[in-house]
Amino acid sequence: MTAVAAPRTHRQKEIRRHLLLYAGMTPFLFIAVFPIYWMAITAFKQESDLYRMGNIPFWFNLPPTLKNFETLFYQTNYGYWIINTLTISAWVALITLVTAVPAGYALARLRLPGAENIGIAIFMTYLVPGIILFLPLSRVVASLGLQDSWWALVVVYPTFTIPFCTWLMMGFFKTVPMEMEEAARVDGCGQLGALIRVILPVSLPGILTSVIFAFTLSMQDFLYGLAFVAPGDQKPVPVGVPTELIRGDVFFWGSIMAAALLVGLPVAILYNFFLDKFIQGITGGVGK
Amino acid sequence: MTAGPAGDGAESATRAAAPPVARRSSLPAWWRSNTSRRLAFGYLLLAPAALYVALLVGIPFLFSLYLAVSDANVGEPVATFVGLENFRAAWEMETFWIALRNSVVFLVVAAVFKSLLGTSLAFLLLQNFKGKKLVRGLVVIPFTLPISVSVLSWKWMYDSQFSVINWGLHKAGLIGGYGSESWPIWLGQPHLALLACIGVNVWRSFPFSAIVLLAGFTSVPTEVLDAARVDGCTFFQRFRHVVTPMIFPILIIGFLFDTVFTLSDLSVVYLLTQGGPGNATQILPVLAYQIGIQAGSLGRGAAIALMLVPLLFPALFLMLRNLKRRDW
Repeated sequence: MTAVAAPRTHRQKEIRRHLLLYAGMTPFLFIAVFPIYWMAITAFKQESDLYRMGNIPFWFNLPPTLKNFETLFYQTNYGYWIINTLTISAWVALITLVTAVPAGYALARLRLPGAENIGIAIFMTYLVPGIILFLPLSRVVASLGLQDSWWALVVVYPTFTIPFCTWLMMGFFKTVPMEMEEAARVDGCGQLGALIRVILPVSLPGILTSVIFAFTLSMQDFLYGLAFVAPGDQKPVPVGVPTELIRGDVFFWGSIMAAALLVGLPVAILYNFFLDKFIQGITGGVGK
Repeated sequence: MTAGPAGDGAESATRAAAPPVARRSSLPAWWRSNTSRRLAFGYLLLAPAALYVALLVGIPFLFSLYLAVSDANVGEPVATFVGLENFRAAWEMETFWIALRNSVVFLVVAAVFKSLLGTSLAFLLLQNFKGKKLVRGLVVIPFTLPISVSVLSWKWMYDSQFSVINWGLHKAGLIGGYGSESWPIWLGQPHLALLACIGVNVWRSFPFSAIVLLAGFTSVPTEVLDAARVDGCTFFQRFRHVVTPMIFPILIIGFLFDTVFTLSDLSVVYLLTQGGPGNATQILPVLAYQIGIQAGSLGRGAAIALMLVPLLFPALFLMLRNLKRRDW
């Protein structure tokens, strides 16, 4: 530490390396996080604080306020939207669970002829974009009498959660050792008994992952909600906020950002924890 | 444990837990075979998911082909066959060509930026450093945030008068004050507006590119890299001849996912500009929505949405081939 010419210690090298890496990461972090920071700070700013270009806008120039959140709950349908979003997602998760888990199991474990192709076919439907399906689906929704109700979305969202979660569960069930099932069969369990008593309990992490994805993927939708649900009190949050809180050219940025933040952030955090599973799900075991 | 039916004819004689013979003989012949019982059970478990997907993806897809050749309208339940009339109408519509061109430009420009940003970020995240988990968690937020929600933040940042981006540029001396020539109105000037929309797509998806690449890099066993190093490969040779071929399947899949998402996403453009100013940011999904739902012309909207298929087809084909080759 005394002389510059002295050989650098391991510790110094590490510090140098870290500094370089942090410097490299900074622009990425800034780009990624700034819009969310901007959303958050706007949500707590007073209306007049938003439009003072003379001040530095990155911090509060007037005391922070909760007024934007109050407006949201007292003067808009935001409360309904939150309830709608949660109810829709819960139904979608349930439908996904009772269809995708058995299907994933059947495709992974029961040596069905053509299982591979069926699995691929189901997964490929995940890639059929909503923009191609939403017009015919609008007819389906209308013929079920569900137009203008959030139930329409309960029917439609499983079209993308089931393919994804079936694929996910298929991969998951493949990792459960065959011996466990065989042991259960030897012990006198039937096919169904082995599934319920042995396989499902050890697959709980995979099942939980599926539920989380049914939840978060439902909240990523915008198109179906926009196309199928018009009444203001029936919308889920990701559709209600952009369509109902923006009226003509008048923007209540504080309330809009508060609405976006309140629901977006929990979803983002939840999804964040399961992101690796998502990537694993879509890339499969390709790289192994 | 309650015993289900276990084993078939010859086998069951040797098993203590075999069900009584009398009950067994009353069952249909196919049920007595273990294999067919397994298959029946399997298809039964598969049926709900397969039916759901077939009914609500398969049939609607075919139905959209039918809509595209009919004059279906929101108001009228009865539609008549009009042949390729809808496609001809789209063909003669100037807006359609603008939308097609913008969709392609959008896809290509966004892909270039996503690959550049995604690759550099992946290399950084490949290193070990303190706080890596936190950094990773923060940097992927754009991808995990519901898109319609995050677009709103961008809409506010692109505000014509109170844009925080412009505030920064102005303070840095790069542009003049509000109202001056050089003050950009992000969503109001044709080229800027398209760029602004592309920017949001890049912002949302570059973490995805990075994480997919990272998954690829970490899947390459270090022994393979060490072996290549021992054989005298330089860093770039290792990268070119060892890493790239090994992670290629993952790259393809990530790329295809992103292509499908980018081409078919309507929320960014719809919420930022509605396709405007003029038709400067008009893309196929927004046009299909405007014509199919807002103007109520289902047939014409379906025809325009289907124009995405030729664009998506190469991507889907590659994906399918890739999945088929997978090691099962």
